[in-house]
Amino acid sequence: MAAELLNAMSEGYEEIRVIETEPLEGEGFIVFEGFPDVGLVGAIAASFMADKLGMREVGYIEADALPPIVSVRNGRILNLVRIYRKDNLLAILSDVPIPASIVKPLSYKIMEWVSSKKPKLFITLTGIPEPSRINIEKPKVFVLGSSPELTEEAGKIEGVEKFKDGFVAGVKGMLLLEGVKRKINTLLVLAQSHFNYPDPGSAAEVVRYVAKLLNVEVDVKPLLESAEELKLRLRDLMRRTSQVMQGVQKAKELELPPVYL
Amino acid sequence: MQQVEEEFIRRLKETEEMRGCITPLYNLYESGDEIILTADMPGVNKEEIDLRVGEDYIKVEAPCRSALRREEKYLLHIQLPVKIDPSSVRARYKEGVLEVVVKKKIGGVRIRVE
Repeated sequence: MAAELLNAMSEGYEEIRVIETEPLEGEGFIVFEGFPDVGLVGAIAASFMADKLGMREVGYIEADALPPIVSVRNGRILNLVRIYRKDNLLAILSDVPIPASIVKPLSYKIMEWVSSKKPKLFITLTGIPEPSRINIEKPKVFVLGSSPELTEEAGKIEGVEKFKDGFVAGVKGMLLLEGVKRKINTLLVLAQSHFNYPDPGSAAEVVRYVAKLLNVEVDVKPLLESAEELKLRLRDLMRRTSQVMQGVQKAKELELPPVYL
Repeated sequence: MQQVEEEFIRRLKETEEMRGCITPLYNLYESGDEIILTADMPGVNKEEIDLRVGEDYIKVEAPCRSALRREEKYLLHIQLPVKIDPSSVRARYKEGVLEVVVKKKIGGVRIRVE
């Protein structure tokens, strides 16, 4: 019954394609993603980690609803949404925020592909809007797993809190929900951040946590030292992401959920 | 709607290029008897921020010291929704974010509620 439902849902999502330019063989992958979102925290954290870990491009995601744009880096032509790999680590990075119209089908397709890799863990990175961020020296990190056991395990790392109540809007929420439906261990990692200003300080806290979780060495000092340049460089992406966040009712993350069920 | 937003971004970018200035990302809030403006202005020395406040506007200018941008300065001029008391202004600049807090000008008479 569940398989039939998933098959029915996949009809109409054919315009989204995950392309492996190198076959990704193996199992037990750990995947993290950094689609532009609150404070560009996930985007900054994921791209910093992928760079520092020496990950290489192994695929991309195409979607008809994405704008007809290519990225150009050092003379190389790149798709907007790319997949990187180092050993059993995979990263999904994007140069554009995901339009509200394809958040659900894109999340479905990504997790359908992730599921085929028999992953050990899928990590989605983002900021949690904090109106008083200017008063916070060291942003707190929160975690929410697709199962209470995963949340408990992820919450054991010192200095991290469990995300208990609230809303998660947009692609981050939908990826988490797909993880629950498909029984993929999916972990949402959030750090207090500015809502619509690029926040490298918050991204650094996310990187510190994920590095501990994955038991890898990633020095955040270069990220913090380049914070001013990053904020300037990412200003236009933040502006576009702010517009998209309106489309997915991102402001709901600032609200409290109802008291009862 | 998307076309309107795209056109807004195009005009903003072209104006910035033509005038050699950056319009910072900003937020304007009303909270009780205060108006709060925050603006994301990395690459600025606090001492060089030129902040001017009138009864119904806030204007911020500051040189942007970054090799990344051709533009030379930040420029933000906000028309406020209500009149304010310029003498009440408090401002701080922390980790690239400028925060300006001003009190609204409150007039009228107090009425006793029966």
